[in-house]
Amino acid sequence: MSKKMKCSINKLAVGIAIGMIGLSGAYSAPTMASETEFSGFVENASYYRDEVGLSKFRNTAQVEFRKILQSDSWSNVTINGILRGTYDGVYDLNDDEFGKDASEAYLGESWHDNSTLSSQALLTPGVYFPCDNNATYCNNLDGYMDHDENDAKFPEFNDELDFIRELYISGDKILDDGTTLNLTFGKQQVVWGKTDLFRVLDVINPVDYSRHNIYDELEDIRIPQWMLTAEWRMGPNDIFDDSNLSLIWNIDKFRPSNLGTCGQSYRILDAGCFFASSVGPVPVIHDVQEYDWDLSNTQFGIKWEGVYGDMTFSLNALHYRQQLPSIHFRGNPDFNPATFNPADIASFPFQADGIFDIYFPRVNLLGGSFDYYSEGIDAVWRLETSYTQGEELPRDTDGHKETDMFRYVIGFDKNLVIPALASSAFLISAQVFGEHILDHEIDMPNEEDNWIGTLLIKGWYINNRLSPQIIIAHDVGAKATVIAPSIEYLVTDTWKVNLGLNIKTGGDEKFPWSATGLFGQPGVSQYEPLARFTNGPIGVANNEDELQLTVRYSF
Amino acid sequence: MLKKLLLLVAVTTTISLSAVAASLQDVENSFYPYKNSTPTFDGLTVGMIINKDNVEQFKAILDPAMYQFIKTGDTEIKVGETTSFDLHSSYVEATKANLANVKLGDKPGEISGSIAGRPFPEEPSLDDSRAGEKLAWNYKYGYNWGDSAAIQPFYWKFRNMKNGKLERTLKFNFHFLNFTHRTQQAPVPAITPNPSNLFRGIYVQVLEPFDVKNTQLLIQRFEDDLKRDNAYLYLGFQRRVRRLSSGQVTDSFLGSDVMIEDFEGYNGRISDMTWTFKGTKNMLVPMYNHNEMILDSETHKDDEGYQVVSFGGKGSCFPNVTYQLRKVYEVESASVDPNHPISKRSHFIDAQTFTIPRNITYDRKGDMWKSWSIGQAHPDHHLPKNKGTGVAIDDAFTMIDIQAQHCTTGQFKGIVDPTLTPASKMTVQNLRSSGR
Repeated sequence: MSKKMKCSINKLAVGIAIGMIGLSGAYSAPTMASETEFSGFVENASYYRDEVGLSKFRNTAQVEFRKILQSDSWSNVTINGILRGTYDGVYDLNDDEFGKDASEAYLGESWHDNSTLSSQALLTPGVYFPCDNNATYCNNLDGYMDHDENDAKFPEFNDELDFIRELYISGDKILDDGTTLNLTFGKQQVVWGKTDLFRVLDVINPVDYSRHNIYDELEDIRIPQWMLTAEWRMGPNDIFDDSNLSLIWNIDKFRPSNLGTCGQSYRILDAGCFFASSVGPVPVIHDVQEYDWDLSNTQFGIKWEGVYGDMTFSLNALHYRQQLPSIHFRGNPDFNPATFNPADIASFPFQADGIFDIYFPRVNLLGGSFDYYSEGIDAVWRLETSYTQGEELPRDTDGHKETDMFRYVIGFDKNLVIPALASSAFLISAQVFGEHILDHEIDMPNEEDNWIGTLLIKGWYINNRLSPQIIIAHDVGAKATVIAPSIEYLVTDTWKVNLGLNIKTGGDEKFPWSATGLFGQPGVSQYEPLARFTNGPIGVANNEDELQLTVRYSF
Repeated sequence: MLKKLLLLVAVTTTISLSAVAASLQDVENSFYPYKNSTPTFDGLTVGMIINKDNVEQFKAILDPAMYQFIKTGDTEIKVGETTSFDLHSSYVEATKANLANVKLGDKPGEISGSIAGRPFPEEPSLDDSRAGEKLAWNYKYGYNWGDSAAIQPFYWKFRNMKNGKLERTLKFNFHFLNFTHRTQQAPVPAITPNPSNLFRGIYVQVLEPFDVKNTQLLIQRFEDDLKRDNAYLYLGFQRRVRRLSSGQVTDSFLGSDVMIEDFEGYNGRISDMTWTFKGTKNMLVPMYNHNEMILDSETHKDDEGYQVVSFGGKGSCFPNVTYQLRKVYEVESASVDPNHPISKRSHFIDAQTFTIPRNITYDRKGDMWKSWSIGQAHPDHHLPKNKGTGVAIDDAFTMIDIQAQHCTTGQFKGIVDPTLTPASKMTVQNLRSSGR
């Protein structure tokens, strides 16, 4: 995307934002129905990582506001906004480990040993914050994972105006037949799906995993987008107790999920450092394909949801772009294995100015969900499923392959009184996520079928002011587990303290990389670069055992 | 011998008929019990204070929990004048129109012929083994909040009764809507379409504090009492709707001393309980004229000048309202489910309105556990908008955990206005759209 175009869109966004904020805060026409409601919080999250030290010293201020407007022809007209600013002091307080002046000894030092060729010599260590340290990498990564240290310290204050987390206007129009049409426009989160930790249908907004891997509430890490949504709330009819048809048009410039730049304290799959490394002098990433703002580049979806007896259901369809990067191999057309010379870049199997380009292919998703309350066991079953076409997964040969994907989650929620623990009823919530790669290849680091199980047990004491919980997740294919016990105490209505542990195991899976064959290790399973996908977000974070303390004052 | 047989047949027929067919006079007696006179009790006068010094004299007109509270000095009550809370004439007329049609089914929770109005207006009899169940139906299909109403706002305060420390304040909006059994607000008697044959919806939205803001609860109760409620919870910080299992209905609601099943005195299925009528008595219950009470000028302020009821007594757990001597039916409901956290409740149901101003809850061991009061305000002495609605306005509640010495109090701004609670409020979609 050209800088000029980017600048124009940002100006437009700023204009809309200022207009809406002005409307909500300053406009004082007599038709106004209410004062602007404000709420929010300030919070410090300090995490200590075993053998690393401070891994997060995040200070957040968030303000939410809502203004009801009066209209003669529309009802429930509101302007809603959430503004958030963050300063993460870890880059100042633990600059030996994180930040532009830190470094790693070898690629993947944060999660595996240095026992294979791909780690020792073939792939160079990831350059921390390449835009502070390496102009070539920075240029190659322009537009994606190209944060500098200041971006990491102050993640919301960027060209995309992320300090405006949400800002939208919404209103209802009562139609002649008594049904309601709702229109909402602005920067917003649109949530499909009802899962914890991992997503199946909840894929409209990309996610910022650099904030705290998969462990923060999705509410806090979804990247809001400028969208127009239209909902036709049909209400009950002779068959359904409730029926609703919604259309979503994501008019924002495409943004992928943020995996965390090399040098940040959370970088899911350690992808950021892989992208900021090289094979000898050849950068791993040559270029990131950006998608200019264009009508044809926008994303859209439709959902029909309703209630039928004891079942709530939805049918979903979405046309969007894959939010995780797909790496396309840039082969050297003149490559000849017989003349390969490790000292001669021109003889390498890839092009000399970079091995991969990053793309975000178009994806079509069809999916659905339903919840069913089973009276016999007094529990709720949840099913969510999606089938996608167009996704691209990593593989050894050629870097990627397009394949259809089938995903599902089966959830089970039950409240159970455990007399021995003398609490209110415990919430027990279990989920099994399944993923099937339809066009699987043997050289894909992802399993053809894989499952992740999660378990949440949460209890409440002292009038819900003290709440212990434990979250366990296990990735079957990665043989990786995370256990996250925590206890939350509401000191008052305004002060809240949360103390938790986050313990992970795994990260032991290896996967062969054919490129090393040229350098003397044919067919040897190793960590770099593909095993990061095999080990998944839990396994790759195996050395990120943490003690976590969060203190929040809300108003 | 023949005479005796004829007499027996005649008596049996009379009893049987009186058990199944209420008369217009029964309706009159049921809805206007104070038409000719108001109850009295020796030594009891309007304006007097009942406290630990004179409570023994009035033990007979106090429920066991209130007697204990006063005796130990936790509170004292002021006696108000007994006044008639006339329900809306449309509800009375609906009762008359359906008089001969209502019948209990074979099993608890089964009823037929009840379109609208009070199903069983006849005076309950201790000889009728199903009298308690009939009274429960009268409550369920009562004019509680009329056809629809809203409480906005609604303040819940968690208090340590021992030291009076205010631990937490929650601010809600509550909405109630009857889909069926409607008598006054159009459409009557039912809102259509209604494919699942819902009877009632209750919608709750948390406004404050921040950590539970935008939490929403939707309860859909079916006309078929044997069918379990559909309950949905929307958690603001997750932005998604989750179905609730019934375990959450009998669990502490957002950490309060109240479970969802406690709402309004009893908020569950008839068939979940075994109902036993224990007798009719005159009792002091918190029913009053709101505008004449001591009001709380701090908790709520608005442009209308409305103020909520204030609280006092031990730990500020008791509403500062007057109690009037009224005819009540004592009904015991014992939980059918042996795993239910309570063993039984004693309900003291106001005979005229069929609201439940006093409840006592017993734990599984049979010990007194919680005391529930919900003050009923006369609609003609409340918000101007409520005047003439014929709805006894829920106005102030306290749920006292006697064993834990903890209470949750509620301060209402109850508004009977159909525009505040359209049917669309009672949909799952509303949870999503309101919770954005």
